[in-house]
Amino acid sequence: MTDQNENGRRRFLQAVGALGLAAAVEGVSGARKALPAMTRVTRLAVGDDPPPIPNEIVAKIYQDRFQGRAITTGHVTLDIPLMAEDGRYVPVIVESDLPMTAQQYVKSLFLIVDHNPDPLVTAFHFTPALGPVNLQTRIKMKRTSWIRGIAELNTGELYASYLKVETTLNGCG
Amino acid sequence: METGKTKIVLPPRIQRGDVIRVQVAVQHPMDTGFFRDANAEIIPPWFIKDVQVTLGDEEIARFEWTSGISKDPIVSFQLKAEKEGALTFLWTDNRGGKYSGTAELKFATA
Repeated sequence: MTDQNENGRRRFLQAVGALGLAAAVEGVSGARKALPAMTRVTRLAVGDDPPPIPNEIVAKIYQDRFQGRAITTGHVTLDIPLMAEDGRYVPVIVESDLPMTAQQYVKSLFLIVDHNPDPLVTAFHFTPALGPVNLQTRIKMKRTSWIRGIAELNTGELYASYLKVETTLNGCG
Repeated sequence: METGKTKIVLPPRIQRGDVIRVQVAVQHPMDTGFFRDANAEIIPPWFIKDVQVTLGDEEIARFEWTSGISKDPIVSFQLKAEKEGALTFLWTDNRGGKYSGTAELKFATA
């Protein structure tokens, strides 16, 4: 191989490399703008829209349990590993700073996993005899999905938190 | 494994007015009805669907469960220790089986 050729090849590679880098940078920043929120974030920031209703089963749960009332994001925190290896045992901690007094308390706490065969995994019903909501349990997940933790006050307000959890092993069959 | 065996853990020293953490575990297969056994037979659904928590004679919480709760369920939550009494968990599964476990909530003396 001559010097001339070697230089040409190097220049070519550099050019391709620069192009590739530019494309990659463009791709990332472009994706930020172009893709819907769902594909890039797993934890919603304040003011983000909640994830869309994925299927009619979840829509029916919303209709049956909340009758179309507005759900405010906040006051509820879901603590779940973002990458849950085993879909059979996904540890969940739900916390809330909502009051637990006789006048105002968290009446119900719903956990909805969008893509489970039975999305309403559990509903906990509380009384003011309980302390501040800090509940731990383990649930099953069929596949990567949004998890919705929704707290209902005795006065009817709804507060929610959403988290996208990746699962590799199907825990539902 | 003994289905329905319940273990309840309370803090060792409780004083009136404390917010205590109640931890409970129950043994149950929680079968969804979607899995098959080694002979390719469907394992029928068998799961706890209702949990009633009572302190003394007052119902303090009720849990609606489905097979989406993991096998051998565990739950823990916070309770205001305002009165003494028997803390009872009554589990009802979809086959009508009832299991229960009780722990005495007592305040530490002095």
